[in-house]
Amino acid sequence: MKKLMRTAAVAAAAALALSACGGGGAGSASNVNPTGDIKPRQISWLLSRPADGAVINIMKKIADEYAQNHPGFSLNLITTPDRPSYIQKYETLAAANKLPELFDTDATPFAQQLAKQGKMVDAEKLLKDLGVYDTYRTNALNYQRFDDGSLYMIPFQFELEYFWYNKALFQQAGVSVPKSLDDIPAMCTALRKAGITPLALDGQDQWPLERYVSYQPFRDAGPDFVQKLKKGDAKFSDATGQKTVNWISQLGGAGCFQDGFSSQGYSDAQNLFTSGKAAMYNIGTWELSSLATDKLNPTVRNDVDYFTLPATPSSATAANEYVATSGIGMAVNSKTFDPLVSDFLKFALAKYPSEYAATGALSPTTNVQTTIPANATPLYKKAIDQAKDLGSKLAMPWDTQLDPTTNSRLQQELVLLAQGNVKPAEFTSTMDSTIAQNAPKFFK
Amino acid sequence: MLPNRSRLSVLVFLLPPLLLYGVAVLFPILQSLFLSFFSWNGISDMEFVGFANYVHMLTGDGVFWRSFFNALGYLAICLVLQLGGALFVASLLTSLRRGRELVKTLYLLPAVISTVAIAFLFVRIYSIDPVGLLNQVLGWIGLGALERPWLSDVNTVLAAVSAPEGWRFTGLYMLIIYAALLAVPQELEEAARLDGANRWQLFTKIRFPHIRPVWITTTIMATTYGLRGFDIPYLMTNGGPGQSSELLTTYMYKTAFTSTDFGYASTISVFIVVECLVAVGFILLMLKRKADA
Repeated sequence: MKKLMRTAAVAAAAALALSACGGGGAGSASNVNPTGDIKPRQISWLLSRPADGAVINIMKKIADEYAQNHPGFSLNLITTPDRPSYIQKYETLAAANKLPELFDTDATPFAQQLAKQGKMVDAEKLLKDLGVYDTYRTNALNYQRFDDGSLYMIPFQFELEYFWYNKALFQQAGVSVPKSLDDIPAMCTALRKAGITPLALDGQDQWPLERYVSYQPFRDAGPDFVQKLKKGDAKFSDATGQKTVNWISQLGGAGCFQDGFSSQGYSDAQNLFTSGKAAMYNIGTWELSSLATDKLNPTVRNDVDYFTLPATPSSATAANEYVATSGIGMAVNSKTFDPLVSDFLKFALAKYPSEYAATGALSPTTNVQTTIPANATPLYKKAIDQAKDLGSKLAMPWDTQLDPTTNSRLQQELVLLAQGNVKPAEFTSTMDSTIAQNAPKFFK
Repeated sequence: MLPNRSRLSVLVFLLPPLLLYGVAVLFPILQSLFLSFFSWNGISDMEFVGFANYVHMLTGDGVFWRSFFNALGYLAICLVLQLGGALFVASLLTSLRRGRELVKTLYLLPAVISTVAIAFLFVRIYSIDPVGLLNQVLGWIGLGALERPWLSDVNTVLAAVSAPEGWRFTGLYMLIIYAALLAVPQELEEAARLDGANRWQLFTKIRFPHIRPVWITTTIMATTYGLRGFDIPYLMTNGGPGQSSELLTTYMYKTAFTSTDFGYASTISVFIVVECLVAVGFILLMLKRKADA
């Protein structure tokens, strides 16, 4: 009966938008060494990465090499680079119990529920079993862990997030690199006076603005604040919470973001910075090829530099601790985990790091050196080398931490706060009540 | 009365579409109704909650009511643009002597452009930085004070996302109404003109009563499409800023596929079905009364 109800429910969900179907159970999450013969077949990876990006290109190549020794094997890569669309697809498939052999997910509360139900293979055990666990950067693995320290996702990249800035525009407005986050609103006022857009922001995708709300708490109270906030154990009305709320309001009030930022997308924000109109741009090392190579507009190429998340001596976290992510991780479906999947992963994970580092990107492992591209500016190497001096505390992006309803509401309310459409007090009460209402469903 | 044989053939032809309709439309509606009594996030155990979802929706969810009123505003703007615009253009077309086909084609063109393209097009038109067409035109004609980021301003965003939807289908409804206007008997109009009727009287007393059945159909079509409006607002603003352009449909979709609250999303979808039925009933009633009057 329960199965019938479940199937009916999923079909109803499908009727609301896409398609789905029900049934099925889960295998064992902790059995990382399945026994039996390797029977080549097609396996699928549902992923959310750029279609022509390094990860996909390398994994295709590795899969082709593996298929040469295992006729009949193929890797079907199903990518949905647009993250919100991907999450919807993945969650619908999870609801229908139809996830493929491999699938991408962040360490979200939803993924944690899947892990608790035994639907994902224990990645820590798996990586140890494959003999590659110790090669991974601790920070890269920590980013993928759930609150309880368990690890169910394998990282494929490692990115550091910086504030890129235009030295010429700073000089023109008479401002210098901020010593603390509190300096930024005044900088924005000075830049605006000089007719310069202070910060280029991709408001359409929502996560870039959400990064800003996480900065003050990370410096003021460390990474624990969001862990408590998401469960309702800390509040926006607390001193730390108020600090970030007021700061966002000040950023908006000082005109830090470009006019109409909420309807501007990823490339709009990047163009604003690379065309020399905006003074600062907060983005990760995945954009190094656009910001630190000869692809960058020659008029700004020599003016671009970066600074990391400002810290003061009284900050709870050190200057070398900021947002460092290992991107969306890959989970292994326990239901379909068999000798073939295990053997392919062993083959792929051994080959992947060197191939990935050769593209000029930071590998999630420490056993390879990143190749600096021939067309890179000196900034490229500086940005890559920064990874060698990284603290142990990570500023986690809040969109991977909060329950989905709170996260959506926060993203919406932040725009209103930054645009001055709601006052800090109203924002605080809306968000605290949203968390109180929704967090218990996910963090019981 | 049809002879037996042809009645059977009618049944044979009617049954497959009826079955398809049942499977594709009625069955999901019933399942949504069923699911609306549960709390379920897709992977958790389904928990029967009775009417709790309905109580929360009607009494405890500010976003729901905001979306509902936004949806009504969106509908009003779409209807004015689609039906009002269509009627106006169709009436003008009948008095046009040359180039009718060209005008018709031009007006119909937006209906065949893909939704995504329209959404992107209008995002550019409304943009302030880099300055888009609308703000540029306002600047040229001396209304520079009105320049604004139309999609980021909470006061203008709803109208800004409704206009493309209205603009898009004006041509389609214009075509339908134009066809109906062509069917108005010329001798009636001529007789009225001889009796001294002016253009307005001609329209209200002769033409409009004649096209009323077509008008009812187009009103129902436009209303139900308007109430189900989703793609353009979703693509242009994703309901933002805040909830300023959130419609019931986008809210329902996000509740289901972002918040993974399938039970509550089904409750909202049941409301949308009821709302559509009420709207159609209301239109039929209103027009029937007018016709009887």
